[in-house]
Amino acid sequence: MSLDLFKRLGLFIIMCAVQILILNHIHLFDVATPFLFVYFAISFRRGTPKWAILLWCFAMGLAVDVFSNTPGLASGALTLVGLIQPYLLELFVPRDSTEDLECSAATLGMGKYALLSSILLFVFCLLFFVLEAFTFYNWIYWLICTGSSTALTLVLILAIESIRKK
Amino acid sequence: MYNLLDFLRKYHHWFLFLLLEALSVVMLLSYNSYQGNAWLSSANRIAGKVYEVESGVTSFFSLTRVNEELTLRNFYLERQVDQLRRLYTDITNDTTVEERNELRFLSQYKLIPAKVVANTINKPDNLITINKGKDDGVEVDMGVACGNGVVGVVYLVSDHYAVVIPALNSSASRISCAIRNRNYFGYLHWTGGDPQTAYIEDIPRHAKFKKGEWVVTSGYSSIFPQGILVGQIEKVFNSSDGLSYKLQVRLSTDFSCLRDVVVISDKSAIERTRLLEAARDSIKAKSN
Repeated sequence: MSLDLFKRLGLFIIMCAVQILILNHIHLFDVATPFLFVYFAISFRRGTPKWAILLWCFAMGLAVDVFSNTPGLASGALTLVGLIQPYLLELFVPRDSTEDLECSAATLGMGKYALLSSILLFVFCLLFFVLEAFTFYNWIYWLICTGSSTALTLVLILAIESIRKK
Repeated sequence: MYNLLDFLRKYHHWFLFLLLEALSVVMLLSYNSYQGNAWLSSANRIAGKVYEVESGVTSFFSLTRVNEELTLRNFYLERQVDQLRRLYTDITNDTTVEERNELRFLSQYKLIPAKVVANTINKPDNLITINKGKDDGVEVDMGVACGNGVVGVVYLVSDHYAVVIPALNSSASRISCAIRNRNYFGYLHWTGGDPQTAYIEDIPRHAKFKKGEWVVTSGYSSIFPQGILVGQIEKVFNSSDGLSYKLQVRLSTDFSCLRDVVVISDKSAIERTRLLEAARDSIKAKSN
């Protein structure tokens, strides 16, 4: 249990650092930003207490927010992802799997994992850009941002997972 | 009662979710109006330190270009000073007046050099973090400029860092500026997109000026002294209500490679604000 906690903490710090120092500066074609820290929310094991997921997600979002001067923006969006993740994972796990199944491409299969993470990513990006813009004035730009950021992050996450699988 | 407790136990994570979301929304809505909240921004100690290390590494790679730019600018300014000095002595036959004026001008302002540690240019509302704070004499609402021109206004201050609202902030930045040598003034306004292009509104219809003329700070607000470079007029439009001109300006500051800035601390500003407040109060008292 405590080993798991330390692993989480390690992942937390790495994800934060990567997001803040590298990925926050990327704006591909002025629309797509990779939000790799959502990977942190996707990767919770089956059977992790739901309140723990929520608190972790909130903390992760807040950490990123503090560094990018947007308090409440990423934390709000990531907390929603943390709420959905355990329910969505239940739908994807194979029938005879263990209680503490790891949520990764190795255990779920690449296809299922890709679908799971793309749904969570889409929810995150949708809420993130809605909260950022706060209006629907420029809704085409907003849709492009959501779609392209989701796609870019998905590519990154699948790349990481395919490396981990080997 | 038991049913209620059971209900709470079963769905406690939903309540936690609502609580955290509410917290997020409160933070989101309160950030723009609540000035004292420096620790939830990149002005806090840990974030500032991390960004300082990062910018130390990245600034190393842009040093050559920055150096070139500064050398050019320095050369240009030296020539200008030289020319002006010659002109002045030709007219007045007095070689010391200018130095005296310069000293008087400089003694009015205190310049605090600072380094940019975090900077964005691609959001609609960009913010800059600098590595000088309350302990170095930086206060809220001081002006910030760099070698090439105006940068922005200090917004949040912690002990060692400060967050600046740059001209590239579409919702909060309004810098009062004027066309050089013509004294028509308006407000600088950025609408997002290109970080080199901004607009000046409220230039009166009877104003006479040409494309390519320089725009400088007006000195009417107590934030910037008069004459800091803002940019060059590129295009002229009619404003949406047709009552004034709207100028498209090419900003002289390159926000994408901003490293060294100075915070301008105006000693006379306190006196001026106090006077202005007193004037407002007396007007209010009269109208009542």
